[in-house]
Amino acid sequence: MDQETVRTICYLARLEIDEEKSEKIQNDLETIIELIGSLQNIDTSDTEPLFSPLEMTAFKHEDIENSDNRKDKFLENAAASNEDYFLVPRVVE
Amino acid sequence: MSIQFKSITELRAMLDDKSISSSELIQESLQLAKKYKELNCFVTMNEEISVKKASSIDLNEKTNSTLSGIPLAQKDLFCTEGLRTTCSSKILSNFIPPYTATAVEKLEDAGSITIGKTNMDEFAMGSSNETSFFGNVHNPWKKGYVPGGSSGGSAAAVSAGIVPAATGTDTGGSIRQPAAHCGITGLKPTYGRVSRWGMIAFASSLDQAGPLARTAEDCALLLNAMSGHDSKDTTSLNSNVPDFLENINQPIDGLKIGIIKEFDISDLDADVQARFEDSKKNYESLGAQFAEVSLPNISASVPTYYSIAPAECSSNLSRFDGVRFGHRAENTNDLNDLYIKSRSEGFGDEVKRRILIGTYALSAGYYDAYYKKAQQVRRLIKNDFDDVFKSVDLLMTPTSPNTAFKFGSKGTQNPVELYLEDLFTISSNLAGLPAISIPHGQVNSLPVGLQLIGNFLREDQLLNASHIFQKNSDFHLAKPNLEDF
Repeated sequence: MDQETVRTICYLARLEIDEEKSEKIQNDLETIIELIGSLQNIDTSDTEPLFSPLEMTAFKHEDIENSDNRKDKFLENAAASNEDYFLVPRVVE
Repeated sequence: MSIQFKSITELRAMLDDKSISSSELIQESLQLAKKYKELNCFVTMNEEISVKKASSIDLNEKTNSTLSGIPLAQKDLFCTEGLRTTCSSKILSNFIPPYTATAVEKLEDAGSITIGKTNMDEFAMGSSNETSFFGNVHNPWKKGYVPGGSSGGSAAAVSAGIVPAATGTDTGGSIRQPAAHCGITGLKPTYGRVSRWGMIAFASSLDQAGPLARTAEDCALLLNAMSGHDSKDTTSLNSNVPDFLENINQPIDGLKIGIIKEFDISDLDADVQARFEDSKKNYESLGAQFAEVSLPNISASVPTYYSIAPAECSSNLSRFDGVRFGHRAENTNDLNDLYIKSRSEGFGDEVKRRILIGTYALSAGYYDAYYKKAQQVRRLIKNDFDDVFKSVDLLMTPTSPNTAFKFGSKGTQNPVELYLEDLFTISSNLAGLPAISIPHGQVNSLPVGLQLIGNFLREDQLLNASHIFQKNSDFHLAKPNLEDF
């Protein structure tokens, strides 16, 4: 894994890595990728992936409104909000 | 009479014969938390509400719930309405949830009292509790040693006798390994047995909540309260929940226990091996029969886990963007800058490392090679378990390859070194199986854990086998000497 790949992954994950930690991160990622790369030696040609141990279909429930309007409560945790919305830096000029 | 180190069953008897009131019990538990503050078990205390609840229980004489008035600690990744929930991360250090997790709600509905939220590895990512934004938790058995992780604060609080039990979550061993390192009992239930609603997600197909307590009997009691279908969690099982105490005393004559051939314990510390052989003999004397079994793909569990768990983590943790909750960076240029700076300031190094690995494994060109491949190997591992459970009832392994270790002594140069801590515990998460860790002696004055893995939904067998072991031994009664704290 080269520095360019590390930079691309960081951007995809919306993370910034400190300059002085970047080499250590690159080495760590290489070590972990090497670990998970060892799976390539296992024959899985006829094996379906197992995405969840349950393999069941989600239960359906009646589509009825069952909670109060708690907009205020949810807005309380935001660093910036007005009466109705979460506030973010301007997106459209 | 002190309440320290008492089990739930013992505290219930004290409450029932009026040798203590619920208020006195809660006050003493809160005082113990203060006395042992240096252990750093708790991130946030819930003193005022705990005291109020206890006094209301004292005023209302009628109670038919075993958990009524019992103090509990909750791992700080269960959302608790009005009570700060941090996941031991800077990014959630100011988060006050607007609702309570189902597992906690069920325990509180049964009358238990949440005295505080326990420290943990940040977002449950770690095996030593060294990744918490709020600092390391000490192992009550030895200052400066890790309690295990990620439910390290919960394990240490129970081990130090501050509370009789606590909740934890287990994604790759996060209940069982700290239980082993702290000399207590910890149960990871079957995936889907306990609702995940309100649990802050790390890896959704692996995470499962469960109890940490002084005895298997107390774990059964807590599991009775925590289990059950929850329509708010689409992966919650809609199956009958048995009374886990009903058959806990059954003799285990003829119980078939498998020893996994691929886990070569001869590589382990000689004393850890000796404890394992002793426990085998103990079980034999109780009527259990042993057989060697083979799970040909189980050795691939660690790499499989470290592809799947980070992938799910990178997806789950994308919700932390500084907009709706949690830490928001200041002086940002635009929305993208706000995301990047808030996340970079808010997450610690291990969390970042796992997000990056997961992002890589899920990115175009690598998805099939890493993520899909791991999910295919996961099926092979599960198929192996299905096969062996045709011939044995339980599997037995050490919980951890070693005892608790010194702060900073593992994983600093190479993260994989710490990942191997979970060698024996990870496979049951991949297959969704229940597993328990019980104390079975000490090595160099530090506790060692024994793991039993059960078949799907057979927590009853695990609890029965653990309880019979504990009825015939006293390892679970050993207490740490807390004079250094």
